[in-house]
Amino acid sequence: MNKKSKITFYIFSLLGAILVIQIAYLSSLKSMSLDTKEKKVLFVGLTGLPDLAFSSNSSYIRHRTLSMVSDIYNLDGCLREYDSATYAIANSKLASKN
Amino acid sequence: MKSKINIYLIEYALGSIIRQGHKSLFIAIVFTFLTALLTSIFFITNSIKYELNTTVDALPQIIVQNTKASRIAEIDVSIADKLLDIPGINSANARVWGYYYFANAGVNFTLVGVDEFEEQYSDTLDRVVKKGKLDGSGMFVGAGVRKIMNNNYYKEYFNFIKPDGTIKKVNISGVFDSDIKLESNDMIVMSKDTLREIFGIEESKATDIVVKVANIEEINTVALKIEQMLPNARVITNDDMKLSYENIFNYKSGIFLALFVISIFTFFIIIYDKMSGLSSEQKREVGILKAIGWRVEDVLKEKFYESLILSLFAYILGVIISLAYVYIFNAPLLRDIFIGYSDLKPIFEISFILDVQTLFLVFFLSVPIYVAATIIPSWKVATLDADDVIR
Repeated sequence: MNKKSKITFYIFSLLGAILVIQIAYLSSLKSMSLDTKEKKVLFVGLTGLPDLAFSSNSSYIRHRTLSMVSDIYNLDGCLREYDSATYAIANSKLASKN
Repeated sequence: MKSKINIYLIEYALGSIIRQGHKSLFIAIVFTFLTALLTSIFFITNSIKYELNTTVDALPQIIVQNTKASRIAEIDVSIADKLLDIPGINSANARVWGYYYFANAGVNFTLVGVDEFEEQYSDTLDRVVKKGKLDGSGMFVGAGVRKIMNNNYYKEYFNFIKPDGTIKKVNISGVFDSDIKLESNDMIVMSKDTLREIFGIEESKATDIVVKVANIEEINTVALKIEQMLPNARVITNDDMKLSYENIFNYKSGIFLALFVISIFTFFIIIYDKMSGLSSEQKREVGILKAIGWRVEDVLKEKFYESLILSLFAYILGVIISLAYVYIFNAPLLRDIFIGYSDLKPIFEISFILDVQTLFLVFFLSVPIYVAATIIPSWKVATLDADDVIR
């Protein structure tokens, strides 16, 4: 093995080591713990709202129970963000056919 | 079987990569960037989907809403008792919940009412709230709600404006655990009675009714029976909700797909450029190698090693970068596509899921294609006479 091969070998070993260490670190510290999972299930069970907060500004999710399921969000015609009447002014499937 | 790896060919391949200097560096940078982008997109999608699938089964089996002139209207609480007559229904609970628009901050809070004295609810609340006890005059709030209230100088309590214009003061009894920030950020949980007062909902009315069915196979049949019993009702099953979630993800993934297509397109332009032939210098190199006695097989092997080293290096580096970007730095910019842009946007950590499928998918989309795009033009040149190639 010449010098270049050795350096390449070391670079690949280093990359491999970083990848393994990174995965081990993320698995131990950044993955969802059983306790967190249990809390999430309990909370969603308690409130019973079929919505997740990451979509809190998306009327078609947060207001989904107020609209026809799988119906209007692709035509989501918001007048104003959070306006509770958003779902009412969106076009229905029937309207979009014409 | 004897090892076929020729160390001298690998050394030559390394020399060739270094000789091509800037070109190799440019390919490595583009390759790394594309791998990082693609894997990041898949990592974010998979993690959020995982987060969602964790809780999707905890959703109600059937939700019954009342409609009046095709608009959602309050439902009679007595309907819950009527529903219990349908065989197969275990329980039917009237829920009270709704949105409260806080004009000062321009945000909507989601208010949910619970029977605070029911053991089931109090046990659950004990688990998900940092500290505090829910009573008739108190409420539990999500971290995002707490922050907004704090910013508006509501540190101990909040004044809700009732429909008749009077004020209802409710104390902040506790904040939900940060572990459930994603689900609870815009939530306020309080007693049903307090909530009825704030929204002006009569004792005999509710927002909707949640139905629990004993046998999950019967959910659709029970839903049908409810529709027949209450022609005005809108009946939503948990399958509808799951489907809705899927659709929403497909909708949002469409934005990611656009990025994906652009990335793949860019990559294939590079590949096309390589496939269209070798430069005259590279052709000359192959010609000289053949003239000094290299076989076609040796030339191809050398090109294979060269492309494999370069693409594998870029692939591993790309995966390392995307893991750090998504899970350590929480994917700035890209994450916003999924979580939106509201004032109550939760700052949550993307949970790590080792998705081997994604790693294989990106690997097979990139490395073998690049290797093939290097070998095929080399093979075309290597099969020609050395004399012809050098000339």
